[in-house]
Amino acid sequence: MTKGVLLFCFDTPDFQYHKILEKCVALIKKNLKLEITVATNFETYKHLKPLGFLNYKFIEPELGNKKNGLEWRNVDRHMAYELSPYDMTLVIDIDYFPFTDNLRQFLDTKYDFLISKNAYDLTNRNSFDTRKYSMIDMVWATVFVFRKGKKAKRIFDMVKYVKQYYNYFMDLYRVRDRRFRNDYAFAIALEQANGMITYDTLPITLPSLPPDCKVLKMDDRGIAWQFNDQINYTKDQDVHVLNKEVANV
Amino acid sequence: MDIGELKKQSDISYDIAVAKRNALEKANTRIVVVYNEHIFRADAETINLVKTLSEVHTSPLYLLDTNHNPVEISEPEEFLKTLIERNQEAISSYHQMSKTFAKRGD
Repeated sequence: MTKGVLLFCFDTPDFQYHKILEKCVALIKKNLKLEITVATNFETYKHLKPLGFLNYKFIEPELGNKKNGLEWRNVDRHMAYELSPYDMTLVIDIDYFPFTDNLRQFLDTKYDFLISKNAYDLTNRNSFDTRKYSMIDMVWATVFVFRKGKKAKRIFDMVKYVKQYYNYFMDLYRVRDRRFRNDYAFAIALEQANGMITYDTLPITLPSLPPDCKVLKMDDRGIAWQFNDQINYTKDQDVHVLNKEVANV
Repeated sequence: MDIGELKKQSDISYDIAVAKRNALEKANTRIVVVYNEHIFRADAETINLVKTLSEVHTSPLYLLDTNHNPVEISEPEEFLKTLIERNQEAISSYHQMSKTFAKRGD
């Protein structure tokens, strides 16, 4: 059985996501020690520094989604099933930095699809308590694992359907955030595909740094950040960094 | 104590609280372990259950994973060893971190 990591990376006019990818790839190679496939476009690819052996899948990102008024190329995650060359795939956002090997073990499970419902705020402000913003539990499409087969295919087909009729589903589940978010697309698809009942989840809480935290330093062990006049750090712990300026650290 | 010193102590307390919470979350993630293609938490409850069952029940054991799926454990001693190793790895890391909290709080 083949196992590997699938990443999506597209530069935008405002952010050089390829620089974040470079950091993420280095940590995956060091800690997860898995083969990597990157879904990207040629414009992004040509800016990448040599990263050793990687597989590339060239696609043109779907445009039109925005975050804080800026272009946000995040709409293609539903294609993970078709793009992954692996039997068992770990999909992670490139701004999720695996400072540990914690995620690797989930590729050794027999589940068809695993995703986490919980994230926690490394600054202790509980800013990721999203339950109150919709009638459905949100999942974090930042990290998920799937095994190719009928069940996973059905879930991804459902994600495509939800994406196609996104506004309808946003109304149905009274989701406050009107932008397209993979988190809600997957949450709704999982609920629909599983007959409106619970589904298997990753029993981990994703450590996350809110966008108002400035990353001061990052090495291969961890991250130091500043929030207001407070400086803190974490090491040997995975971190999801929402401030895209991490590209320039 | 002047207000400046109070502010300083408050900032230190905040830093320690944040670091402690993060270290605990780190330990909680680390005690998640995959065994026999299923996911378990190597916490006190699981360890005690496996230890107790292995003492009073013949193999195989049947447990629930973190998603409440039943799992057959044919080698409880090996499983218990895995659970204890992972538990102690996670908690000892938290313990090391807690020593730094104590130093900062002095």
